[in-house]
Amino acid sequence: MSSRVRIAAARRLLCGFFPAFVLLASALGSPVSATDRFPLALKDDRGVTVRLAAPPRRVVSLAPSLTEIVFLLGRGGSLVGVTRFCNFPAAASALPKIGGVSDPDVERIVALSPDLVLCTTDGNPRDKVRALEEMGIPCFAVAPQDLGAVFTAIERLGVLLGAADRGRAEAEALRGRARLARPSSRGAEKPDVLFVVSTSPIIAAGEGTFMDELVRLAGGRNAAARFSGRYPRLSVEDLVAARPDVIFVAGMAGVERFPREVTRWKEVPAFRDGSVVTLDGDLVTRPGPRLVTALERVSAALAGWRSSRPKTPAAGAGGKR
Amino acid sequence: MTGGGKRSGAVFPVLAAALLGALALSAATGPVPISPRAAFDAIFRGTDDTPARVLLSLRLPRALLGALVGGALASSGVAFQALLRNPLADPYILGVSGGAAVGALTVALFLSADASPLLPLCAFGGAALSALAVFLLARRRSGVSPERLILMGVVVGAFLNAVIMLMVTLAPPGKIPGALYWLMGDLGQGTPHRVAVLFPYVALGAVLLYLLSRGLDLLLLGDHAAFQAGLSVERVKTATYLTASLLAGSVVAVSGLIGFVGLIVPHGARVLVGSGHRRLLPAAFLLGGAFLVLSDTLARAASPAGELPVGAITALAGAPFFLYLLRRNGRRS
Repeated sequence: MSSRVRIAAARRLLCGFFPAFVLLASALGSPVSATDRFPLALKDDRGVTVRLAAPPRRVVSLAPSLTEIVFLLGRGGSLVGVTRFCNFPAAASALPKIGGVSDPDVERIVALSPDLVLCTTDGNPRDKVRALEEMGIPCFAVAPQDLGAVFTAIERLGVLLGAADRGRAEAEALRGRARLARPSSRGAEKPDVLFVVSTSPIIAAGEGTFMDELVRLAGGRNAAARFSGRYPRLSVEDLVAARPDVIFVAGMAGVERFPREVTRWKEVPAFRDGSVVTLDGDLVTRPGPRLVTALERVSAALAGWRSSRPKTPAAGAGGKR
Repeated sequence: MTGGGKRSGAVFPVLAAALLGALALSAATGPVPISPRAAFDAIFRGTDDTPARVLLSLRLPRALLGALVGGALASSGVAFQALLRNPLADPYILGVSGGAAVGALTVALFLSADASPLLPLCAFGGAALSALAVFLLARRRSGVSPERLILMGVVVGAFLNAVIMLMVTLAPPGKIPGALYWLMGDLGQGTPHRVAVLFPYVALGAVLLYLLSRGLDLLLLGDHAAFQAGLSVERVKTATYLTASLLAGSVVAVSGLIGFVGLIVPHGARVLVGSGHRRLLPAAFLLGGAFLVLSDTLARAASPAGELPVGAITALAGAPFFLYLLRRNGRRS
């Protein structure tokens, strides 16, 4: 206990001195942009204010989405630890592992002596994050709930990592791509879309998931929205009753395909027309930059569905329930 | 031992009607609307539209599977309770469930999704192996005692549970939901094919147990008394053990681990017809079938968040019912 107090005291002392150094450095004309102003104090998504004296040089990421954002910001070199699920970009796989998202190893993280830990409130256990903070390690929590919040998170992490300009530029580029990916005409036909994360049993993505948002942004209707809960389990009959026009499968190793006794239900337009699209599960479940890639693929698939439709809107409407 | 002789005359028609009613209710419940007219046409005129196909290849097979599974679990429970002379015995008490789970998880987690037809086979193999292991471990030259069977069953079950936990922990994340639903018990795999495969096992097991019913009556008196009554005790015990394990194993293989049916339904049936096995076994079969079909209908229809695992419903409905039975019986005696 006493050693912890001593560390905290040392930290406070250092924090007191660092700003002076940094101010001195900027005064001497080092290329620090207007927004890269350290020391900085930034409120995270928990409402906790995180203070950094200087741009962090040893960062640990507790989620694959955060690792992807750090690399996007050009700060991959500052990462000293990631989770065992962090596999993108390829360079992330080579970094030291600190455990999983739900079971990060506090001691291993402390041993890496990070000056910043990036965490999420969706998945990281709160008490482990608190344990890190008690060791004097600043933890910045990000929990975007929709695509817009992902872009904002990229900008904020840019500020935090001393890459504010890069963050703004990348977020703006992603916003542009997302705008382009959405259907151009407002009257575009809306297919019923089912997004599943498991094919046997059938588990769909309901309201409140990123997959639901992707479907809506791409101009589709989520056929699982009538169920409550974020990941409802559907029976084969539920699937037949929902009659989705397009089915997306968020593929994870070995579970991409529906069993034959499910696909033989040709009442389901997606099975009849072969409109079952497999997407990399990592793209659609991680609130990171690649959500835009997922949006582009979903949009392209729905555009393909529209273009294969006969050009008589009346007949199209009659085909639906 | 003598159930109310007079009132039980009407019990069997009532139980059969309950099972039929449960099957009908189950067949009438689901998200695709099916009118009584469409159902009639589907069954008697062989129409081939969507409602007909939903009825004939999804709902009815699932309902029939529920009836077979529920009946088999209840019969198996009756047999184990007599064999072990223990009211808390159920079909899973002797390691059958753990063996089946390890067999099924091996297929579900580590082989490709296309290997799923193998799952029932491997689950059955696992159940048979573990049931046999428990039996051989418990046997001594003097025969099999209930105490040793239970002890060995619990130890083997604990060991297999550890294996299950390891397997689920080490499994690739995408495959975990399927495995968990299987462990919780699930009738969603009901296809006409599965029903056809399961039927002979259940029929054979149920008939064999029925033929053993006099032996089961005598076993309840204790080995010594049964022997004096002219029973070849060890042979009856071995036959009962193997038959009840066959029933439990074949059922677990297609539906996963559905708890509580094999424990409470035998007690419910005893309240209705007494503990003579010639009446108890058929009553338990009908009651178990009706109970599971109703539970599954509830599991499909009750939640706005999609299907629930039927194993959760049987335990939710079963535990309070069991307590009610215990208290009612306590008051009467």
